[in-house]
Amino acid sequence: MTVTAVDPGLAADARRERRFFLALSLPALFIVGLAAMLPILWIIRQSFLTTGGEYTVGNYEKVLSSGLTWSALITTVELSLGTLAVCILLGTPLALALASARPRMANLLMAFVMLPLWTSILVRTYGWLVLLRREGLVNAALTGSGLTAEPLPLVYNFTGTLIGMIHYMLPLFLLPVYAAMRDIDANLVRAAASMGATLGQVIRTVVLPLSAGGIFSGSTIVFIYTIGFFITPAVLGGGKVNPLSIRIERTLSTFQDWGSASVLGILLLVLMALIGVMFLAARRLMARNKVGAAHA
Amino acid sequence: MSRLLRISLTAIAVSAAVPVYAQSVTITTAGGDYGNAMKEAMWAPAAKELGYDVREETQSDGLAALKMQVTAGAVTTDIIHLGSSEGAQAAAQSLLEPLDYKIIDPNSVPAGAKSDYCYPFDSYGTVMSWNTKTYGENPPKTWAEFWDVAKFSGRRALRANAQDLIEIALLSDGVAPADVYPVLSTPEGLERAIKRLEAIKPNVSVWWTSGAQSAQLLKDGEADLVVTWNGRAQTVKADSGAVDYTFKGSVIGTDCLGVPKGAPNKEAAMKLIAAMTQPARVAKLTDFIAYGPVNPAAYEGGLIPKDRLKTLATAPENAGTSVFSNADWWVKNGEAAQKAFDEMMNR
Repeated sequence: MTVTAVDPGLAADARRERRFFLALSLPALFIVGLAAMLPILWIIRQSFLTTGGEYTVGNYEKVLSSGLTWSALITTVELSLGTLAVCILLGTPLALALASARPRMANLLMAFVMLPLWTSILVRTYGWLVLLRREGLVNAALTGSGLTAEPLPLVYNFTGTLIGMIHYMLPLFLLPVYAAMRDIDANLVRAAASMGATLGQVIRTVVLPLSAGGIFSGSTIVFIYTIGFFITPAVLGGGKVNPLSIRIERTLSTFQDWGSASVLGILLLVLMALIGVMFLAARRLMARNKVGAAHA
Repeated sequence: MSRLLRISLTAIAVSAAVPVYAQSVTITTAGGDYGNAMKEAMWAPAAKELGYDVREETQSDGLAALKMQVTAGAVTTDIIHLGSSEGAQAAAQSLLEPLDYKIIDPNSVPAGAKSDYCYPFDSYGTVMSWNTKTYGENPPKTWAEFWDVAKFSGRRALRANAQDLIEIALLSDGVAPADVYPVLSTPEGLERAIKRLEAIKPNVSVWWTSGAQSAQLLKDGEADLVVTWNGRAQTVKADSGAVDYTFKGSVIGTDCLGVPKGAPNKEAAMKLIAAMTQPARVAKLTDFIAYGPVNPAAYEGGLIPKDRLKTLATAPENAGTSVFSNADWWVKNGEAAQKAFDEMMNR
């Protein structure tokens, strides 16, 4: 802290201002409290109840000792990581292309990227079904052109689910990455190039480090979103791809076991919180390294 | 004076058109074609006769909705449409009011199908259906042939639920229809059925989760052999023609109507159930969907045209090789069966 003496009047003003801004957040906090916190508390209570309404930890024992839970957890993480990996591989070069395109071109391309975001996820998911099924357009093109003799199993499996999820998440990943890359000072790129850096070196040493924050935010969004995906695996998974969300639905509808379903919900929440904490910690670490590098 | 006259005339006209007090009843159905069929054939005419104002809600998962309403203490529906094994489960969890057999005719249901809590009104068969383009004149004729992937190659689609499937698995393994539940009640019976399902698993391309989805798979040619409900198979067959099905070896189940515990209009609900399941009305249901009545009286007096009888799972000529789904077995063993099924899916 460099400021040592503060005018008491100014300090009071600052306090008043802070109180005012805090008050502005009250309506939002109220809604979040009502619409998010209360149901979560209710789910936590439900997870400790038997079907008869008595308190128990039996639901936790049942869910955590079941192999079905853990394989659903693994499927969930596999789907999220798979989506994330492809989003990074496809999204980062795309963002780079968008950021280096002329403004008019970039706007046009951006509109194409955003278009799927304005379509309902159900419509998009069924759209993929039409494209990918055995007698769908993709397979008709593949067999018609002689590339493959038999139609490929593109949907009702892990591949199909992944395609649907990537399609949904790519624009959401792209936005923060594009924003970060657009904000890079073009002079830095020129400076690097003027000192003899090749394109690859410019990307590696200038562009990627400076857009790491954006890639990071995009990755967080992708992971948090995909952890709870239900519609895509339900429609495109053909009953063979069963992440936690599907396990919850089945526990509710086939077993009418609200207690276990609540435990599964909490498991999902804990998973999300863990990932959130990991991302925050990594971000802080990155920020500290950056500060350290700047000082060095 | 003339103004007053006009006002009172209007008042009289309005009160004649809308009864001052109309008993209102809410019914929850599965919606879709099936829900519409129930409305047109059953509850709308019954409501008119009783002078009730009936509201409809739809739920694809009746039992889950029922449980939510009853446990939350916010029961909004007076009548709920369930599968009979769900009805038995709901009764075991005391989610239903006992049926009032002073209002509903106790003799309108065969003794074997009778329930104290959920009134069975129609029946359906879980059947084998196939793509006629794939198999032409030589489709599989038995469940054993359905399992014979060497002789009948092709992609299968089965429901992602143990219900009806474990019965079918045993039939495919050479168990006689009458022995299915006795075998299932032995310790190794369920395991035998699950093993059989595991054997066909590599040839199952889709495990479907809704009747509508199974119909779509048939229609699109996504799967060549589909286990589905006869009403769905019949609808696709009538629509496109590239599909056929057989009642041989079908598993027959019934759907029923129950009154949720704490329903706001209990007595009116009982009266509506009695009125909407009159023989003529459940017979009329077959005009819209191929689900046959449970009440034997509905098959008498030509209420159902002869050529349509063939499309009903319960028609005498279709009944010989089928298994009647046993709600009691499912209440006792349903959870274990579903768990074993899920674990098989996971392997």
